[in-house]
Amino acid sequence: MKWLLKQLQRDLWSPEVAGIGLGLVYVLALLLSQRAPGVSGTFFNIAAIVGKPLTAGDPANQFFVTIFPPVTETIGWQFWIVIGLFFGALASVLIGGHFKLTLIPVEQWRDVFGGAVWKRWVIAFIGGVILQIGAGLAGGCTSGLALAGGVQLSPAAFLFIPGIFISGAIVQLLVYRDKY
Amino acid sequence: MALSVPDVLTALFLGFIFGWVLDKGGLNRYYKIANVFRFTDLTVLRFMMTGMLVGMIGIFTLKHFGALELTAVTATVLAGNLIGGMVFGVGMALAGFCPGTCITGIARGQLDYLIPGLLGFLTGGVIFGALYRTPLVQWLLTAGRPDLAYAKLPDILGVDPLLLALVFSEAILLFLYVLGRTRLRRPDDLEKIVERERIEAGLEERPQLQGVGD
Repeated sequence: MKWLLKQLQRDLWSPEVAGIGLGLVYVLALLLSQRAPGVSGTFFNIAAIVGKPLTAGDPANQFFVTIFPPVTETIGWQFWIVIGLFFGALASVLIGGHFKLTLIPVEQWRDVFGGAVWKRWVIAFIGGVILQIGAGLAGGCTSGLALAGGVQLSPAAFLFIPGIFISGAIVQLLVYRDKY
Repeated sequence: MALSVPDVLTALFLGFIFGWVLDKGGLNRYYKIANVFRFTDLTVLRFMMTGMLVGMIGIFTLKHFGALELTAVTATVLAGNLIGGMVFGVGMALAGFCPGTCITGIARGQLDYLIPGLLGFLTGGVIFGALYRTPLVQWLLTAGRPDLAYAKLPDILGVDPLLLALVFSEAILLFLYVLGRTRLRRPDDLEKIVERERIEAGLEERPQLQGVGD
């Protein structure tokens, strides 16, 4: 019992142990709900609150009408996955006593890019913009495409994953330079 | 498809487990995501590959016995999947998070995930939707799309799904074994700094003894 509590409180598990849980989530999702979890779609549903009126002038553009309608109109299964995602992480953080309000990452960021908050916030914002556009083009993100597609042997996932690593490595080479 | 109460509860429960393992795996920390692209910390790869291994074997075994059906997931589109992935990778390396890890990163109290991170995703979402009908986006979303865009590899290759899943699993297992046995890169100065920062933040109990067990 004491051992179990200690494990639940640890900040990090071995990636393989955590990965087993990840795999089981996808098995159970298909088994119990005939769906596979994904996150970026819900971001589109939330963006649609602003996006739908904004694109209403072009009736041919059905993106925020039929493909990703505003979350205020219909709440789907994936929305509840995102809610659960937050509370699952929160439980893990709180049990471990690791909750702490921070403005920039605790590890590594400061040593490479300095302590300026604006710099981290600008890059986090730009990164978010690029990520969501990439997810739109690819048809999903790490959860809804790489994992959901990968576990079901969908070719889309095996195109998407190398794509991430090719550009990710190039970007880090340019950003970290001599620290790469 | 209307949502039933059990569906909502299942989604909340599975999301909860998903969020838990993303935090315990360390995927909601900037350095874990940033360093997989520097090949100095392979946590992200080991986590994802183990998940895929377990998921693949579970799903295709259950499918073999008729207990579940595969879902449509994402259409295969050569340009979209690959170039979209490359765009995605730029954002992921810069920000050090992806959509799911941003949500779980907020739960640690990281305000850079909550405010600029989430705002970035939503802004990107609006931009993509506004550009959806432009020729470039439409080209990327359709170029290299086969007739059977939702077909899975076993159907395309004409082999037994469970057999192919086992072949893939073997490959992943071998990959994980190699990852566990070799260091792609030497530990760098940053790694030592990160370890010290984690101890100072109370995230790690004691420094690991150097040289023992290596």
